[in-house]
Amino acid sequence: MDMPVKLSVDKLTKKYNTLEVLRSISAEIHRGEFVSIVGPSGCGKTTFLRIVGGLEKANSGEVRLDGRVLTGPGSDRGFVFQQDNLLPWRTVLDNTEIGPEIGGYRNADQRKKTLKLLKLVGLAGFENYFPRQLSGGMRQRVNLARALAVDPDLLLMDEPFSALDAQTREIMQTELLRIWEEGRKTVLFVTHQIDEAVYLSDRVFVFARRPGCINEIMEIDLPRPRPLSMKRTPEFVAYVDHIWKLIEEDVRASVLEEHA
Amino acid sequence: MADAALTEAQTQPGWGSSLASGLKARAWGLGSIAGGLLIWELISRFLVGNKLFLAAPSQVVVAFIELTRSGELSKHIYISGLEFLLGYSVACILGILLGLAMAQSTSAKQALQPWVSGLYATPTVALAPLFILWFGIGIMSKVVVVAVLVIFPVVINTEAGLRTTSPQLIETVRSFGANARQIFFKVALPSALPFIFAGLKLGIGRGLIGVVVAELFGSRAGLGQLISQSAETFNMPALFAGVTILAAAGIAMTSGFGWLERKLLPWRE
Ligand SMILES: Nc1ncnc2c1ncn2[C@@H]1O[C@H](COP(=O)(O)OP(=O)(O)O)[C@@H](O)[C@H]1O
Ligand SMILES: [Mg+2]
Repeated sequence: MDMPVKLSVDKLTKKYNTLEVLRSISAEIHRGEFVSIVGPSGCGKTTFLRIVGGLEKANSGEVRLDGRVLTGPGSDRGFVFQQDNLLPWRTVLDNTEIGPEIGGYRNADQRKKTLKLLKLVGLAGFENYFPRQLSGGMRQRVNLARALAVDPDLLLMDEPFSALDAQTREIMQTELLRIWEEGRKTVLFVTHQIDEAVYLSDRVFVFARRPGCINEIMEIDLPRPRPLSMKRTPEFVAYVDHIWKLIEEDVRASVLEEHA
Repeated sequence: MADAALTEAQTQPGWGSSLASGLKARAWGLGSIAGGLLIWELISRFLVGNKLFLAAPSQVVVAFIELTRSGELSKHIYISGLEFLLGYSVACILGILLGLAMAQSTSAKQALQPWVSGLYATPTVALAPLFILWFGIGIMSKVVVVAVLVIFPVVINTEAGLRTTSPQLIETVRSFGANARQIFFKVALPSALPFIFAGLKLGIGRGLIGVVVAELFGSRAGLGQLISQSAETFNMPALFAGVTILAAAGIAMTSGFGWLERKLLPWRE
């Protein structure tokens, strides 16, 4: 990658009381890069993303965005949550514009951008719907549009498709890539689905658990645009196999623990 | 994609079918009321046959017309209405403010909680004679009784509504850099509104009970006074006229609130 560094994480450590969740994580993400984090459940993916989002404080270490040290949340980052977290009393349009509203620039100019954005995510015509009138897939589109509405430098996504059924999820993956191609934002995408990570990303960070740390960083050297059929090519399957072998032990351990 | 999105949207019931089902539900309700009135009329005419014990609906209607003609009824309605309105408004404003205070500050919550829970559970309406002793036989004592009865469900619901605000939603607006004021007005308050409404609705019935009971214990005018006076003179038709008006007021206010709720909170089912 010859793009400049967008996000740099330096020796990040997080503990909850005695539980060491993240140990000395260091990584760099370049501008316009799509990076996924995979790892077994409980390995600290969400915690990592929340620290980068400024929603959680690290015990030590630093996160820099364009060289600035981050200390709290801000509209330079857009967070797409695992549950859609839409405000039920707001329409699609009002939900999407919550970021600009909080930032104090919800004006006619912004409205034009928002309507374009809703069209981009496939929600044109649904501006005045309330969340309860939408399907899960549509709510996640609003969730994404809401994060994009503040025009963030960095998009943080925490398993946004995990609550969707398998078909809808695949559609949403292609949709996400289509939307991403439009603006080429820097994306940090958390998932526990290996094929999702490989399909979407330029690089995949494979997390190990207890304490969470980066086990391996995989370059995904597959051409773009990527059709869904790519998931059946031998190259794709080889990437998935490789990552699966890396985390298999950890996944087994975490499954056993959850059932203990 | 738009097509796929369209099919994803929840299909809503058509206007025609909802109208038809509404009429059907109403038909049963109206039929039930008419049947009840008919049975009441027949029992009081043929089974009881004594106006001193039970007045027939037709006699209540006659009493209603007479009371209206003499101007007596409007006087009673005006006094009771005023007492209710003043007490209810004061209780709503104070109740919401106290609920906000309890939700915002732990010390306020700890200081107020025992009083709120204790007095909500107490049948404070039994204290009406005491309030009449303190505040006199005029409307003031009734306003106080109404306010005391209405305030507790309002406080409790306001506090509960604010306290149960989803932490995920708060976190969401926080991720966009919202400050405490924005979190309150954009998340906590709107999410508490349905609870606050429920408290206000509960207050209607309690407030009406307050008006009547307080007037029974001592008053110069009002529907409660009309009822107690009619009972003393064995004027059952007038007594029932008073009760009917109270019932109608309760139903009208409750359904008015339901209407307002649907207008103000269209995002709910
Ligand atoms: N607020 C918290 N307090 C205590 N422990 C927590 C908290 N949040 C997460 N954890 C623990 O930290 C570990 C990592 O959690 P998380 O980051 O959610 O993992 P992942 O997203 O990879 O499944 C888990 O063991 C979880 O129980
Ligand atoms: Mg997680």
